[in-house]
Amino acid sequence: MQVYLPIAELSMNLFFLVGIGGAVGFLSGLFGVGGGFLLTPLLIFSGVPAPVAVASVTGQVVAASTSGALSHYRRGGIDLHLAMYLVLSGILGAFGGVATFALLRDAGQLDLVISLGFLVLLGSVGVLMLVESTRSLLKARSGIVARERLPNQHSWIHGLPMRVRFKKSRLYISVLPVLLIGLFIGFVGSLLGIGGGFIMVPALVYLLRVPGSVVIGTSLAQVVAMMGATTILHAVQSQSVDILLAFCLMVGGTAGAQFGAAAGRQLRGDQLRGLLALLILAVAIRFGLSLVLTPADVFSTAVIGGAR
Amino acid sequence: MAVLTLCALLAPAQGARLVSQLSNSTVEITSSYDGERLTFFGSIEPDAGSSEAVVGPFHVVVVVVGPTQNRVARQKTNNFGVWINTNQVEYQNFPSYFHVLSSGRLTDITDITTLTTNAILPEAYTLAPTGDWWQSAIFGRQLVRLMREQGLFGIQENGVNFLSQNFYSAQLTLPSNAPPGPYIALTYVFKDGEIIARKSEGFAVRKIGFERFLALSAVQYPLLYGIVCVILALFTGWLGGVVFKR
Repeated sequence: MQVYLPIAELSMNLFFLVGIGGAVGFLSGLFGVGGGFLLTPLLIFSGVPAPVAVASVTGQVVAASTSGALSHYRRGGIDLHLAMYLVLSGILGAFGGVATFALLRDAGQLDLVISLGFLVLLGSVGVLMLVESTRSLLKARSGIVARERLPNQHSWIHGLPMRVRFKKSRLYISVLPVLLIGLFIGFVGSLLGIGGGFIMVPALVYLLRVPGSVVIGTSLAQVVAMMGATTILHAVQSQSVDILLAFCLMVGGTAGAQFGAAAGRQLRGDQLRGLLALLILAVAIRFGLSLVLTPADVFSTAVIGGAR
Repeated sequence: MAVLTLCALLAPAQGARLVSQLSNSTVEITSSYDGERLTFFGSIEPDAGSSEAVVGPFHVVVVVVGPTQNRVARQKTNNFGVWINTNQVEYQNFPSYFHVLSSGRLTDITDITTLTTNAILPEAYTLAPTGDWWQSAIFGRQLVRLMREQGLFGIQENGVNFLSQNFYSAQLTLPSNAPPGPYIALTYVFKDGEIIARKSEGFAVRKIGFERFLALSAVQYPLLYGIVCVILALFTGWLGGVVFKR
């Protein structure tokens, strides 16, 4: 069944859209990531113009993350205090990212920066997570009880000034690293068209030592607020949010996210992190190959100026 | 159905005129829009007041041109192992859609000069007067190829059928990614390689109803549109949670 997308100005199969929304929503519920880093390339590959894909996916990420965030909220898995700091600095970062986006697009090097950005970010985060989760999985297998990182295990980050008490996370840390993480994710997220959950989750776990029980919920809450703001920014700046496309993806995404969250409860934290690490690495390798391998077509074309 | 248009244009020399018709004067984009089939038909008639019958064989070429855009064609090159866009050529007022239907091979119908001067070949639009013409020629060929791969450009050399000696019809399927806007269909009648009659007809591709409302709102009330998108997303997410709650 074909449905015409009024902003993308083409017609696509309804079931295909709901289907990829559902598949990515499942992963987003499972890992607590927005899923934008999978959905955006998928849509562009299906023929949706890149600006429309990026902008509409932000809307879908809001929906997919909302159902996840709510179910975590009911189970008390969100540190709202911490999320607030992350969101406020994240929105500030998003303004910077949107401005940089426009600069790069005018220079014609947006594709390169997006590919490099995905490669570097996904590659480094993926490798780090894979190493950590493999180590903890091996320990578990050899019978050693993997010691959970305790909140009172301090690193240099915990020695910084301006400390704030985050009750839910049982943390008493400086707000500076929290704000920096928010700022960075806001910037990178709006530049690359992703929610940034896959950076947020490891950053909270490894840098701030946020306990595992609130990490995913807090990350999802931050993604909802930040991507909501980014959707509005995209709608105002480029008018490329296709509400019909976003809605089709949302319907699939929210359903998928529920099943993903249920499946996530069957798996241990280190297993989840290992799987997510593999997924992230796969996407990173794909972007890396696209930079290095001889492209199928060295020529490309785009509409410039007023028309989309 | 569409409103039918009927008009005729007089050709001075050969005493022939073209009476033609287009099946649609507007193509309406609805939610289930998946392209549309257009039919062009017409007849080659003797001039008004002329008593002698027109004698073929004739050839008919229909050129359909969509709304223009500014386009850029880019080329990637390998720099230290990494493929980067390094060269680009911009084309002003480049058609977003270009299809040629003809009753035979274009090179058999007439010579290349006539084809080029009347912009019957898509390459005619890539001859940018400014800049490096060699670059624009190379990139122009590639741009036409890319547009053809997207189904937006094309040449169908058996697209026009003669039902009798003077009466032809042609069908064109407009793809769903053909952008909305004003379109022009130019019909040329050839005899012995010369244009003996020509006519241009316009039709519009436009969004109607809900699709039009959405597209207009996105441009006219972007802030409100964005807020509605976010509310819709939050609501869908919440509803999903309620429906699937176990």
